[in-house]
Amino acid sequence: MKKVLVVDDSLSVARQLEKIINESGEFTCVGHAKNGAEAIKMNHLENPDIICMDMNMPGMDGLTALRSLVVLDKEVKVVMVTSLGGVGDKFTEALKLGAKNVISKPFESENVLQILREL
Amino acid sequence: MAVKFFGQFLVEKGIVSREALLKAIELQEQKNLKLGEMAVSMGYITQLDIDRAHNAQFSKDMKLGDLLVEMGILTINQLNEVITRQKNTHLYIGEALVLVGAMSSEQLQQYLDEFKIDQAPYVSERIELPAGVENGRIWEMTADLTYKMITRVLDLQFRPEKCKAVTTLESNYMMAALDMSGSVDARYILSVSKGLQKTVAKAILREESVDNESAEILEDTVMEFVNVVCGNVAAKASQMGEIININPPVTIHPSADGLPVPNGHLALCFPIHVSVGEKMDLFLIIKQ
Repeated sequence: MKKVLVVDDSLSVARQLEKIINESGEFTCVGHAKNGAEAIKMNHLENPDIICMDMNMPGMDGLTALRSLVVLDKEVKVVMVTSLGGVGDKFTEALKLGAKNVISKPFESENVLQILREL
Repeated sequence: MAVKFFGQFLVEKGIVSREALLKAIELQEQKNLKLGEMAVSMGYITQLDIDRAHNAQFSKDMKLGDLLVEMGILTINQLNEVITRQKNTHLYIGEALVLVGAMSSEQLQQYLDEFKIDQAPYVSERIELPAGVENGRIWEMTADLTYKMITRVLDLQFRPEKCKAVTTLESNYMMAALDMSGSVDARYILSVSKGLQKTVAKAILREESVDNESAEILEDTVMEFVNVVCGNVAAKASQMGEIININPPVTIHPSADGLPVPNGHLALCFPIHVSVGEKMDLFLIIKQ
C-alpha cells in the first residue's frame, strides 16, 4: 500500500484528506505536517511515496518546500492540494518545480484518489 | 468544483499530459512578449530604458507602462499601441496546445465549450456597491463568489442584504480573517453565528454531526472555508488580469461591541441572512 504524507496548516483539511486516503484501501496516511519545514522533516522520517501538500501555509509555504523536497528526495511524488490551484501562475510554477499535479480546493474525494492512482 | 484555468481543466480531465501543458506554456512564454519587450520590439524604447524604469520601480509603486510614461520614455499613445499589440498577438494556452500537437483545432473548440459549462457556476453576477469604491469589480466578484461558495460548498439557502459601508464590524460568535495583497490591499472577514459555525464544520469535514468536535477544529473549518473562497477569488482575479496574493487565515473573537474599522480603511459589509437567529456577514476592509 502506498504511503501518503499530508501537509496542510488546516486541521480540518488534514482530517478530510486522511479520511479519503485511509478509507480508499489503496493508500495509507503516514502523518500530517503543518508547514513546509515539518514536511521536509517528516519526509525524511516516514519516507512516503506521495506527498499531498498545501501551498498557502504559515512559516515555510508549499512551493518553497517543494523546491527542497524535489532536490532532497528524487523518488517522492508531490501533489499540491490548494485553493490557489486556479491561479494560472501558481499552477504553472508548481508543475515547473516538479509537482506531479495540482488539485484545487474544494475537492471531491474521487478526484483526489484518481490523481493519486495515476502517479 | 473550483475556479480553474483552461490548462488545469485539461490536465485534470486527462485530456492533455502535464508534460504537454508545460511545453505549451513554454511556447507561450517565448511568444507572448512582456510590455517592455514589446515596446522594444516596436522600436519605441531600448533595454536600457527598461532597466532605468525597473530601478525606479523600487521606490515607486507603479506598473511599468505607467512609469515609462511618467518618466517621459514612452508617450501615452505609444503605451496604448503596445498594449493593443500585446492583446492582438497574445497566444492563448489552447492555441499553444494545438501548436505543440497536444490537440487539434476541432478538439480545442469542443474542450473550450466543455470548460465554459464547467465554469458556468462561477460566472460573476452584478452586485451593487456603494458609489466610488476603488477596484469595485474585484469586490463585486469577491462577494459574488462568496455567495456561490456558500451555496455550493455549504449547501445553504440564504438572502443577501444590500452592501453598505460601515464604521464598526458588528459582533458575532467568531470571525475568520484573511489578508489580501497585490492588486489590492485588504482584509477579507467572514463572521458566523454559533449555529452557522457548526453548519460550516459539517460541510467542510463532511460529517453528519460535529457535536463532539473540539473548538479548535470548529474554528479551523471556518478558516478553511475562507481560505477556499479567497483562493478561488485569487483565481478569478487572475482571469481578470489582476494579481491577488493571500495569507493564511486567522480567527478573531470580537467583543460584544464589535470591531472598529482602522483609520484609513473603508469597510464594506455584506449581510447574509440564513435563518432566524443565524447570521453571517462578509466584511471587506479595504485600505484607502
